[in-house]
Amino acid sequence: MSGLTGAPATGDAARPKIEVVGLAKRYADVDAAQPAVLERIDLTVAENEFVSLVGRSGCGKTTLLNIIAGLIAPSAGEVRVDGKAVTGPGGGKGMVFQQQALFPWLTALQNVEFGARTRALSPAARRREAEQLIDLVGLAGYAERYPAALSGGMQQRVAIARALALDPQILLMDEPFGALDEITRIDMQHELLRVWSSRRKTVVFVTHSISEALMLSDRVAVMRAHPGVIAAEFRIDLPRPRQRTHAEIVALHDRIWRHLN
Amino acid sequence: MTTLATLLRHPQVQGLSFLAALVLGWEVAADVGVLRPYQFPAPSRVVEAVWEIATSGFPEGVKLTTHGLVTLGRILQGFLLAITLAIPLGLLIGWFPVLDRMTLPVITFARSVATLSLLPLAIVWFGTGELSKVLLIAYGCFWVMLGNVVAGVKYVDPVLIRAARTMDASGLVLFRRVVLPAALPRILTGARVSLGVGFMVIVGAEMIGTIRGLGALIMEARTFYRADISLAGIAALGLLGFGFAIGLGALERKLLPWHRGLEDVRR
Repeated sequence: MSGLTGAPATGDAARPKIEVVGLAKRYADVDAAQPAVLERIDLTVAENEFVSLVGRSGCGKTTLLNIIAGLIAPSAGEVRVDGKAVTGPGGGKGMVFQQQALFPWLTALQNVEFGARTRALSPAARRREAEQLIDLVGLAGYAERYPAALSGGMQQRVAIARALALDPQILLMDEPFGALDEITRIDMQHELLRVWSSRRKTVVFVTHSISEALMLSDRVAVMRAHPGVIAAEFRIDLPRPRQRTHAEIVALHDRIWRHLN
Repeated sequence: MTTLATLLRHPQVQGLSFLAALVLGWEVAADVGVLRPYQFPAPSRVVEAVWEIATSGFPEGVKLTTHGLVTLGRILQGFLLAITLAIPLGLLIGWFPVLDRMTLPVITFARSVATLSLLPLAIVWFGTGELSKVLLIAYGCFWVMLGNVVAGVKYVDPVLIRAARTMDASGLVLFRRVVLPAALPRILTGARVSLGVGFMVIVGAEMIGTIRGLGALIMEARTFYRADISLAGIAALGLLGFGFAIGLGALERKLLPWHRGLEDVRR
């Protein structure tokens, strides 16, 4: 794996899936004196690892995710997936957005089918796959509803099913539960872990909730703003589902909080 | 009594009851002489005028159905010509920012020109026949439609485009499967507004070179001091427009079933 050159030593024994190397992002039209949105970002995510990016609003975590997705080009450095530089979106990188990003003119099932569009499946097999995914995210019986007739939590379930329909190796999630109430949010975290355990993916998960990151992730990267950098990384070697009150979780919460300030 | 109370709570009944009150008040005012009959003929007189145009015609021999069909034909020709041109052009302009920047001043200017101010020029260019009338209506409809189609494509929620791109949609697939359906509500709104413009322009367009058409009827009646005939023509034109608004509304609900999703939840 020549792609490892320059990657930080994270001590990962597993094969790196995503490598972010020397990444920086500046907006040219903004005052040159302004600090960069992102600077010197190095991050390696192992295959099937669940990594969260945590930080305050404006620390560049969503920008970093968009660059990994190939939706935004970096000013310097690069992102590699399986050792190959990312040049654009698609190609096995599924994404779930914070805002409502379902196609409102398609039913839940049709939205998921859209995700499976480019897979080499017969129309019947594609429909079956979409139906299975709808079941997997717990929406059996809601397949024919339009997004406007679904609650916020249900819409995000469809969005997750749609991203999974690509059969992606990588799942990028941009504060997917950020707009949900706390109770729904906790439900959705359990759901995501359940889905993830049946369809193993490499996940990069952006959130501004420390406890959400601690409940879900193998590793948490803490970001700081002006310029946006990764200030620290924490590994969480606890089995899931985790208890919010577990002594190690509480201690990590405290340490991450200190890194944010 | 309770049935009357329930009836009065019905939104359609409420809407009609106000209209009925207006007409009744007008009738009474005309009968007692508050309104001068040659200026504001009573509604009953207008109904008689409708009967007169429907049976013997006004001018003699040109009946209400003829006026209505001629007007309808002109509006539909102009409207269809306008939207057939405006939809493909608008999609192109909305999709390519450079075309949008190039055409924005022209569209803004052309939209601000009152269509009927072009009437004298239309006569010089196309004569006083059918072509002038249809083209004037088309002009009015075209710019309104074009503006709406451009806006519909241009203001598609960017997150939908980004989401589609993460699912390997680009180029024509992106346009056909995401941009077009996302722009459709705005395009249909454009069609509705544009048809309304057609109904406004028609009266002016029929001012010259014809005695057929509801606009011609309304203008012609004036020279004979027949306000009742004018009002009858206005009512007929209004009803025609009303019918089209209902028809387009139904078409919209059929084409955009997902737009009603929210209502289902609230019910």
